Amino acid sequence: MDATERGPAAWVTEPGEIVTVVTRRTVLVVDDEPALVEVLEQYLRDDGFDVVSAGDGPLALELFERRRPDLVLLDINLPSWPGTEVLRRMRALRDVPIIMLTGRVDEIDRVVGLELGADDYVGKPFSPREVVARVKSVLRRTERREVPSKSNERRVGAITIDLAAHDVQLDGKPVTLTPTQFKILEVLSSHVGQTLTRDQLLQRVSVDGDVFDRTLDRHIANLRARIETEPANPRYIVTVFGVGYKMVDPS
Amino acid sequence: MSSLVHEIRNQLAVAVANVEAFRDGVLEPTPARLTAVLDALQQIETLLREIPPGEPQR
Repeated sequence: MDATERGPAAWVTEPGEIVTVVTRRTVLVVDDEPALVEVLEQYLRDDGFDVVSAGDGPLALELFERRRPDLVLLDINLPSWPGTEVLRRMRALRDVPIIMLTGRVDEIDRVVGLELGADDYVGKPFSPREVVARVKSVLRRTERREVPSKSNERRVGAITIDLAAHDVQLDGKPVTLTPTQFKILEVLSSHVGQTLTRDQLLQRVSVDGDVFDRTLDRHIANLRARIETEPANPRYIVTVFGVGYKMVDPS
Repeated sequence: MSSLVHEIRNQLAVAVANVEAFRDGVLEPTPARLTAVLDALQQIETLLREIPPGEPQR
């Protein structure tokens, strides 16, 4: 598939990504209550995860290195080392998503805040189903974050669009776009050669509800002014009369 | 006081998670597991007794 034809969700099909998608993911559960660990293990296994568990910091770190889990559920209150210390040491080794389990409401801000940088937390007591849901949501979020920046680059003719950085270049020179103009370009460039009706464009662009039918043409005109050499005679963003717009690759 | 509340929450977590697992059919309520739940509840009771009277209940 050509890079210019990829939709925003195409990251799943990146060659490097397939491995992480089809491989069973491993969760490391760290808590000193065996009767709690057992429950979490079983819920996670029922949901297709491989699970390893530890009751203290040193064993947790050993398993962290040996089993290379994709996510860690970490109790903040552990014997020997505090959970925060375990988190710090894990982060020093590898950037793996960590969800803290905590019975201390007063610790939550510190844990999830910048200081420790946990990805999420679950307060005790919790519903094990809720924990599984959080595990999945954090994995979704972090896997998206890990998409290599190259796959976020899209080229149409002389236009390069960096979807992650929101950068647009024309012939290698940076082009400044408003967020709405960028969004329009992002949507059109994911369907090169395909006409999008005004409704389709509005639906996809107007996430924040600030683009209305009447102003769409003005946004397109402004966008053309920045990326077309002859805005009156556009080569990239073409009007399909009575229908909508389409992006074409002139090269 | 805060560590007392923390320990109560910890034991509650054991009881709640296990009972939910029994309800969902994820774990069998074996005598050993039921004992673990009962232990947790008894610990909570003991811990509650340690809360000094008149302390703010947070």
